[in-house]
Amino acid sequence: MNVYLLILGMMLVTYIPRVLPAFIVDKLKFGKRFGKFINMIPYTAMTALIFPGILQTDAEHWYIGAVGGIVAIILACFKKIPSAVIVMASVLSVMAVYWVI
Amino acid sequence: MARSALKSYIYGIRKAVPVFFGFLPVAITFAILATSAGMSGMETAAMSVFVFAGASQIMAVQMISAGAGAFSIILATFVLNLRHLIMSTCVFRRVKIKNFFLKLISALSVTDEGFALITTEDEENCTPPFVLGVITLTYLSWVCGTVVGVVASNILPKIIADSFGIALYALFLALIVPDVKRNARLFVTVILTALINSVLIYLVKLDSSWSIIISTLVGAAIGTFVVKDEDEPDSTEEQTAEGQEVAEL
Repeated sequence: MNVYLLILGMMLVTYIPRVLPAFIVDKLKFGKRFGKFINMIPYTAMTALIFPGILQTDAEHWYIGAVGGIVAIILACFKKIPSAVIVMASVLSVMAVYWVI
Repeated sequence: MARSALKSYIYGIRKAVPVFFGFLPVAITFAILATSAGMSGMETAAMSVFVFAGASQIMAVQMISAGAGAFSIILATFVLNLRHLIMSTCVFRRVKIKNFFLKLISALSVTDEGFALITTEDEENCTPPFVLGVITLTYLSWVCGTVVGVVASNILPKIIADSFGIALYALFLALIVPDVKRNARLFVTVILTALINSVLIYLVKLDSSWSIIISTLVGAAIGTFVVKDEDEPDSTEEQTAEGQEVAEL
């Protein structure tokens, strides 16, 4: 298989869905309900990306992802903690669990 | 409060720092898998430069190892990345861009992570320079991480590499929890979305690339009925930009 042709094909099918809305979003008229629908998508898309995938962070131990996730949720409940700090704390908590098991 | 272009650009880079920590180990993992699947260092780096899609690239090298043909890999990539069509719509509705070439470049911000950063940022900050800042660091982390992986595949001890697997999930949680915590109806919507996604994956045995798209759309549709108009604009502090936007609709 020619890997460069594969890369070209993957590039096209990846880039087109990313760029297409840039040229059509101005032409669409958003009604009140559709606007609300679009505003909901960041929350539902991120949720779908998180769960249940987070439990597969480690293929053999589901609780690895659970521990890291709970640490992130608790810290995110406090205001003023930068997301980079939350991410590192979550990584460190997972590292600690790996250390113990 | 309008920022200068340079300030917005730097702000975009700063906002993307957590993605740097998340992308680096994933990129290194990809590079290790790719070289062990028989791809050259050049091919591995080229895939990251031109495709710039973590999950798809890892899936592709796994399919190459399993002996799959190019067409089926490209088809699988297409399905896996269809969700970006939805995410891109959200991004370009939020960031107003007129320039043709700027539109072409800004499309590179539509990774799961770039989308997450941009759509949770106050709308007044979502300027083209901010988006370019986000792209700069996310793209560089991905490409540099790949090169690091090619050059020194065993640079990271296994326990550290494994631990960073949580990073991008933690980032998504850090981005949505503050809003969800303040809004019980949004909380219900999010829980229902997670439930739908789990049912689709574990009970219907749907491929996760499809289940993510379906549960995102169904969850958002439910959300339009569950979340009250007066709820959504969070009147508290920094969420006012979002609130004004909803009020205008």
